Amino acid sequence: MNEERSREGRSRGFLALIGQASRWLGALAICLVILLPVVWVLSISFKPPQEWLAYPPTIIPVEATGSNYIVLFQPGNPVGGVATMVSSAEPVTKALINSLFIAPIATAASVTIGFLAAYAVSRYRVGGTFMPFFTLTTRMFPPVAFAVPLLVYYRLLGLIDTRLGLILMYTGFTVAFSLWMMKGFIDGVPRHIEEAAVLDGASPWRVLFTITLPLVRGGLAATALFVFILNWTEFLFALVFTSREAITIPVQVSHYVGAVGRFYGPQAALGVVASLPVVVAGYLIQRHLVTGFTFGLVRE
Amino acid sequence: MASKVERPLVGGGRKPAPARLLRVLKGEAFFRGVLAMPMQLLLWFLLIIPTLIVLYLSLVAWEPRMGTDWWQAPFSWFRNYGHVISDVRFWQAIVRTICVVAVAVMLEFTIGLGLALFFQRDFLGKRLFTSVILYPMMLPWVVVGLAFYLLFLEKGPVNYILIHFLGFKAGVAWYHYPVLALSTIILADVWQWTPFMFLILYSGLGALPRDPVEAAMTLGASRWQIFRYITMPMLKQVVIIALIIRSLEAFKIFDLVFIMTGGGPGTATESISLYIYRLGFVYGQLSYAAAMAVLILISISIITRLAVRPLEYEV
Repeated sequence: MNEERSREGRSRGFLALIGQASRWLGALAICLVILLPVVWVLSISFKPPQEWLAYPPTIIPVEATGSNYIVLFQPGNPVGGVATMVSSAEPVTKALINSLFIAPIATAASVTIGFLAAYAVSRYRVGGTFMPFFTLTTRMFPPVAFAVPLLVYYRLLGLIDTRLGLILMYTGFTVAFSLWMMKGFIDGVPRHIEEAAVLDGASPWRVLFTITLPLVRGGLAATALFVFILNWTEFLFALVFTSREAITIPVQVSHYVGAVGRFYGPQAALGVVASLPVVVAGYLIQRHLVTGFTFGLVRE
Repeated sequence: MASKVERPLVGGGRKPAPARLLRVLKGEAFFRGVLAMPMQLLLWFLLIIPTLIVLYLSLVAWEPRMGTDWWQAPFSWFRNYGHVISDVRFWQAIVRTICVVAVAVMLEFTIGLGLALFFQRDFLGKRLFTSVILYPMMLPWVVVGLAFYLLFLEKGPVNYILIHFLGFKAGVAWYHYPVLALSTIILADVWQWTPFMFLILYSGLGALPRDPVEAAMTLGASRWQIFRYITMPMLKQVVIIALIIRSLEAFKIFDLVFIMTGGGPGTATESISLYIYRLGFVYGQLSYAAAMAVLILISISIITRLAVRPLEYEV
């Protein structure tokens, strides 16, 4: 009897081990599929021109080179033989600087405005249920539907192809995320802490900035990183509303793919450069991604 | 939303004039008003005024090349709308976009649910695998488009796999055939957004109470029965939210099409966003594009209203 049970236990342990192993292999296969596209981009970004279309394709470059990256910033640089193909392209420096300028400022504005409004909604029900839901309309429709009227509007205001124009737009079209994410975090702060401060004679401003704000600091950071990802990756508005002065990194990527045709190396290198900041930001807020994309309706 | 009547944080009480002014500035009414003000200004500036402008534009006959300003253009009333409704390319783009949304979102949901169930059990390195799965949704759309464009080139890795491992005689010219080109776009979308479905369903599953499942188990329910009659109904709200949000997002599809196929071959992969973009900003038919935008705004509002109806009982 006893022996039988232990044998059963052993075989069950063995089965569990097989279960673990197959699960693990399954997960590994899934991850390989998920990694392939990006590994391929990374790989091409380090390949010299003759290998871009080499057949059979190799994951690891035969002669790895950094020239694709150098050419991005110095289109005329003859390194690696890419220059003749790219010399007509503009250096990406301007787009990079624009993106590094526009995305953080728009993020700061969006999160600040969203935070204040979220506090008003959470604590005072300002605007009832209408206002918070009304903000969601900025995310409901295809952005191109707003781009049509914004074009004539921006032309009137002289905001076409300016950084300020894009900053305003990005702030407005991400503020719904800021409001809803921050509302979730502020709802989580117990009201009695603020009430205690009020009883001690603090003004509402003081309560907001010295009691509530420090308590939702983590949420504020998560919201900011999330909004930053959206602002950095936004494409359509940047495509429509910029032409030379204010172009951003995603638009530059599309220029490379569209206009110059077959120089896959620098395209891939630019893709890597464009992805780095947002992937870093994304990993910092993994836990909050669902909260963000669902406006806090679903939280982890 | 649990509505609770909030007590005012600061009480009233009369004081001398300068102190009263100070009190107003510090007081609650002013405070409330100021808090939401920037948000409201922003919404007026970027949402309400543009919506009024797009309505106006859709009712006039105006193109930038006419040289006059748009507010001087003659009214053509509903003629633009008439043109839109009889525009074959518009209907093709609409149907195509809806097909892309349907196929992509269903695939994302199915695969995401599968992954979420798969990841319910613990195994070695689960956390690492989860974070690898998440990263596609952080990438810029244009980069995803670029990556898939490079994968599906005639001499790219996908054709290599097809020829060497699956016995194809020659590589497939993915971008030359409408259906194939469209499916590469759908694949890219599925690749990027399945993680979203996975994450939302995974955390949804994790948050479910264990008791009903255990009760069903002791009553002898099969795994399928538990999944079908207990887990899924409890997950319903999360599922609906996920499907609505993802469908709305997928309907916007622009970046992937723009980068991967440019709408080609011909206009065979053109999404509705790309068509409006071209009308408005390439062909310069702004008031025609405006009419189309208005029709899209109206139909999405109606559809979303209907879609969120099952939620209103529960939220």
